[in-house]
Amino acid sequence: MLSIAHDDARMTTLIEPRDERSQPARIVAGYPQTPWRNPAQPLVARRPTLSELTGPMEVARRVRLLGGDIAGHGDRQAIGQLIHLRVRVLDEDGAPVGGALVEMWQANGAGRYSHPNDDDHAPVDANFYGAARLVTDASGAFELRTVKPGAYPVPTNDGWWRPPHVHFSLFGRVWLSRLVTQMYFPGEPLNAQDRILNAVPDVAARESLIARYVPPTGNPHDALVFEHRIVLRGRTATPEQS
Amino acid sequence: MKPAAMIPTGEATLGPFFPPRYVDEGANDLTVFEGRKAKGEAIEIRGSVIQEDGAALENLIVEIWQPDAGGIFRHPADPRHAQADPDFLGWGRAATDGRGSYVFRTIRPGAPEGRAPHINFMVMFSGLMRILKTTMFFDDGLDVVLSAVPVARRELLIARKQGPNSYRFDIRLCGDGETPFFDD
Repeated sequence: MLSIAHDDARMTTLIEPRDERSQPARIVAGYPQTPWRNPAQPLVARRPTLSELTGPMEVARRVRLLGGDIAGHGDRQAIGQLIHLRVRVLDEDGAPVGGALVEMWQANGAGRYSHPNDDDHAPVDANFYGAARLVTDASGAFELRTVKPGAYPVPTNDGWWRPPHVHFSLFGRVWLSRLVTQMYFPGEPLNAQDRILNAVPDVAARESLIARYVPPTGNPHDALVFEHRIVLRGRTATPEQS
Repeated sequence: MKPAAMIPTGEATLGPFFPPRYVDEGANDLTVFEGRKAKGEAIEIRGSVIQEDGAALENLIVEIWQPDAGGIFRHPADPRHAQADPDFLGWGRAATDGRGSYVFRTIRPGAPEGRAPHINFMVMFSGLMRILKTTMFFDDGLDVVLSAVPVARRELLIARKQGPNSYRFDIRLCGDGETPFFDD
């Protein structure tokens, strides 16, 4: 975990910066909003103080938890390929981050979000709201039961489709470990042309955003399983993806 | 300015598709936590978040993190955290409205040890490839984080007082008067 020591020297050594090669470019060719919204000035380096080395640890008391089973209940099941996502949240030392608030949202099986702004092409699924919110267990793990999100065309109308992906927003133990990212699925042809995934220059970092397919074992009998790992901070941090 | 060939704002918008209930009712009011009033002076902070062409951005997510009225963070790393106000969480979330405006009601933060009073801000939005972090100050007093910012840009981090308990803090993502963001 990030340092909670009070002497400045130790804090400095334990706050590893993110590796810029493993983080996405801020201005992305073919993503027309990016030059308008991302800072043109260099970001300002600062030495972390207690303010950045603390952070909200009890957000779960302020927001409504939605649980991790979002594929439907009883005879009201979401349409799509049922999947379980088994995710572990780690800090920069590889230690599990228990008690972390995780927020996840995704499109439905047809590639449509439960959002009034998404009126593009695909049908709404009344049994799929598409958002989970839960807290990691002591081993930093959480499991989601959902349907595999569909791909969808981006309104740039030039052939860019978002591959199947889910969004994650995570609160670590300190303000510096707040992470917003996306997770992708292995073997998807659209991964190779996605402008957000491929904004990350480093190949290994890009691959760290792709979940691992787990061959079926019969347990669960009705869902495919994917495993994923999210590292909140440091040189091996999971790339940001907003 | 961008070349005219750029696709105008509002067209080709990808999201944002934060779930409609991503911002919980009351999450932008830090003066009350689990039904109890936090100690200290209630203040209101309003601002707009705009992109390079001045367009207001709707449904952009703003989060804040700050110490309580006594300058204590609700976190075990703060040596004084046992004395933190139990009725103050220190975290809030707001979404911008159709005019690109957010509002927080919170408690005027005390000065943490070695720092001037301040509030940490974070914004997330589609087309922002990475979340952006900045810090709002109440005046231009000595502060180690404010001092890290080039002199000419420091005033952009100082909230404008609108009334005794009311402040304005606009966030410009890009362009003239661009808000300084930190390389965290």
